[in-house]
Amino acid sequence: MRWNQEDISLYAESKEYIDTMIIPLIPFDVQKDELMKKQAFQKELLKLFASEVEKEYKGRILLAPEYHYISGRHKEEVDRVNHWIGQFTNLPFDHIFLFTLDMNWRKLSNDLQGEIVWLPGLQSGNLQSSEVQSFIKEQVSQIAEMIRSYW
Amino acid sequence: MSDKKQVSRRQFLNYSLTGVGGFMAAGMLAPMVRFAIDPVLQPSAAGKFKAVVEESELTSEPQRFTWKINQKDGWYESEVEKSAWVYKKENGEIVALSPICTHLGCTVDWASNEEYPNQFYCPCHGGRYKKNGVNIPNTPPTAPLPLYEHKVEEGMLYLGQAKSRGSGV
Repeated sequence: MRWNQEDISLYAESKEYIDTMIIPLIPFDVQKDELMKKQAFQKELLKLFASEVEKEYKGRILLAPEYHYISGRHKEEVDRVNHWIGQFTNLPFDHIFLFTLDMNWRKLSNDLQGEIVWLPGLQSGNLQSSEVQSFIKEQVSQIAEMIRSYW
Repeated sequence: MSDKKQVSRRQFLNYSLTGVGGFMAAGMLAPMVRFAIDPVLQPSAAGKFKAVVEESELTSEPQRFTWKINQKDGWYESEVEKSAWVYKKENGEIVALSPICTHLGCTVDWASNEEYPNQFYCPCHGGRYKKNGVNIPNTPPTAPLPLYEHKVEEGMLYLGQAKSRGSGV
């Protein structure tokens, strides 16, 4: 399920079947052009990952709105991320996965109330090229399997 | 005076003016008629078939094939990947099933659960379907998997729209 009118109305009717949530964590930093470019690319990549995984398990996964933050202040963000997670676990959701390409979250994974799924991403590239597409497909099937092991 | 029937000057002018006028009228009307019936002549997007796989690759075991279609969805026109589980029955009939679970839309897999080796299995809520796509009672789905329209031309399998099969079992 995605965060749009149609899917959310379906979710509201069949809450008991949907117990898994994916929150993409998307950093940005406008200080350096190079970093901005990389982060913009990685944002596209991460959204693609999340939406492909959602497509596979549409009936059990809800894709949350993306969580955006300014990079480099992960410690301060922990509380806010946990606040988001708290909102969703109340609905209830049993499994919360935080998708990210930002490896700084790994050190804080114990403080977070959701499961960090760190994806080794690409620095840059062309999302339309067939190599990148097969790389994404391969990874998506592995992430999907990983999520299934939690169910 | 000869006794052959002569065309008088008046008649000749009448004929030629009618002829030329007729051509001019036709010249003006033809595009108008074409515009008026244009929507009827548009190929309907619904009936579009796409080449998916060579018929010789099909087996009696369902295999998953993917292909791309252009989909216009409100604001966006995008390329969407479609997929189908395709197999051949013993009598040679081709069956192409949509892999979208009729419960809440997950993707079903053939024989992915060891307990049900001859069924389609949905990993989300354990929905199951027989090989012909009919849902198994007492599992979450309430309708069979949709069937794709198909045709074979020159050894190539073409798939069209997936057609829902009602409420099933």
